[in-house]
Amino acid sequence: MEHTEKKQNTLLTIYQKSILIVVIIVLWIIVPLYTDNIYVPSLIEVLKEFGKLAATGELFKHIGASLKIAFIGLAISQAIAIPIGVLIGWFKKVDTYLSPLLVVMRNTSILAILPLFVLLLGIGEVSKIAIIVWGCVFPTLINTIQGVKTVDSNLIRSAQSMGISNTGLFFKVVIPASSPYILAGFRLSASIALIVLVGAEMVGAFYGIGFMIFNAQHAYMIPRMYVGILTLAILGVLVNLLSTKLENGVLRWQESNTNAV
Amino acid sequence: MANYGKVLISTDNLGLVYKLGRGNGKRKSGQASTLTALHDVSISVNEGEFVSVVGPSGCGKSTLLYILAGLYRNTSGKAYIHGHEIAGPSLDRGIIMQAYALFPWRTVQKNVEFGLEVKGLKKKEREEVALEFIDLVGLRDFADRYPYELSGGMKQRIAIARALAYDPDVLLMDEPFAAVDEQTRTLLHEELLRIWEKTHKTIIFVTHSIDEAIFLSDRVVVMTSSPGMVKDEIRVELERPRTNEIKSTPLFGSYRNDIWRHLQSLTDSTREVTTMQGRHILGAVPQEAVI
Repeated sequence: MEHTEKKQNTLLTIYQKSILIVVIIVLWIIVPLYTDNIYVPSLIEVLKEFGKLAATGELFKHIGASLKIAFIGLAISQAIAIPIGVLIGWFKKVDTYLSPLLVVMRNTSILAILPLFVLLLGIGEVSKIAIIVWGCVFPTLINTIQGVKTVDSNLIRSAQSMGISNTGLFFKVVIPASSPYILAGFRLSASIALIVLVGAEMVGAFYGIGFMIFNAQHAYMIPRMYVGILTLAILGVLVNLLSTKLENGVLRWQESNTNAV
Repeated sequence: MANYGKVLISTDNLGLVYKLGRGNGKRKSGQASTLTALHDVSISVNEGEFVSVVGPSGCGKSTLLYILAGLYRNTSGKAYIHGHEIAGPSLDRGIIMQAYALFPWRTVQKNVEFGLEVKGLKKKEREEVALEFIDLVGLRDFADRYPYELSGGMKQRIAIARALAYDPDVLLMDEPFAAVDEQTRTLLHEELLRIWEKTHKTIIFVTHSIDEAIFLSDRVVVMTSSPGMVKDEIRVELERPRTNEIKSTPLFGSYRNDIWRHLQSLTDSTREVTTMQGRHILGAVPQEAVI
């Protein structure tokens, strides 16, 4: 009895979660058939184009180029954000010196800096990676600072009472204790990497999903443009799924892993 | 009663004066704002002895413990262990806090291994020692669990196992059972005595429960507040091993009355402490604490 009820509940949840998306898909298939707007092709047409681009391998070339840059940028940004965040969170003096500058940097629009980066670093991969680094540093940085600042003082005292060295305290207590914050920051950064990437690829590129969308728009290859948008949406969902998986895996010691920031 | 070895840990006119508020300890009124948490505290604990410290909230009993742990600095007097002045925390003292302070990202086993890692033991040795003490507190089946999966009483038993594992000379316990329910507390008392009798550790136990102090200890140190001072020491000559029934004996009752009388004569100053702390929050100068 209870079992079937539970099953019904799961079905209900699946229904509730998917109904809007299903409706949009159906509308996207049907409505364009009865309207005559060339800017909104039917989903069927878009999927045909998707198949074509996938078959020639062109789509994957773009995806590969984009992911490579996104991944390198993300990796560099995290390698910067986590150590600096820990230092700012732990040492009052570092906080005092660095924080004002970081507030200014964080609140300067990435779109405003993009042309500057292109001027300084050219339109190659370097400027794109740099802009992704810029965009992805701050969520992790801010979260890491917050995490380190809020480490339970009892845990620190407890470790210190066992005569732990400062290095030991850092790696055995401060970092693991702030890992929920750091990972939430990472998850945010990972999605931002994809978002910033598209902007960077629109400024100057010969490959990449962003370039593909931009180029298709210019050339009035409308279904192709939609393929790009759809691909990005799918990539975004996948990245979010993967980083959530990683987070839950690392944080299995937490009672519930619902601390989305 | 039991004869104990030589003095292990002691304090000599120990004092701690806090500066209150911001700045250099001066207020608008020009008065120095300080709070005397501890004043001329001299106690001495022998090897293997179980000593409790009772007193009203704010009498500095926990502060005293943290100084002995090397985590707080005293501002006057001296604290000694093995005849040497206490300079900081070390593995010869194990502290157990009310809030358990288990590392949530480590399993029970890894929590108990923590001090052994600091000590530099090899992995295999660590595992063996940790298991031995997890066994001692009766939680072997939970070795691979994370702290969030344990009840409060179990967490505190693991905290005790963790402190015992690195083999300190003295356990410093700061109201360890204050956060668990009455039934669990009674069980933990008997458990702690069993462990104490088995390991022969010296224990200094801070509590605000008179019954807890009498039931566990060889000696009860009664503290007054504002400033925190030692009011009296009572030797508890109840037979060991003790069981819960001992609490209803006349002798236990007379100890209870004894300590209670001491504390009652303190209630006035206790009230002062409460109001004083209230005013401290509001930012006023706590007159009673100014020396």
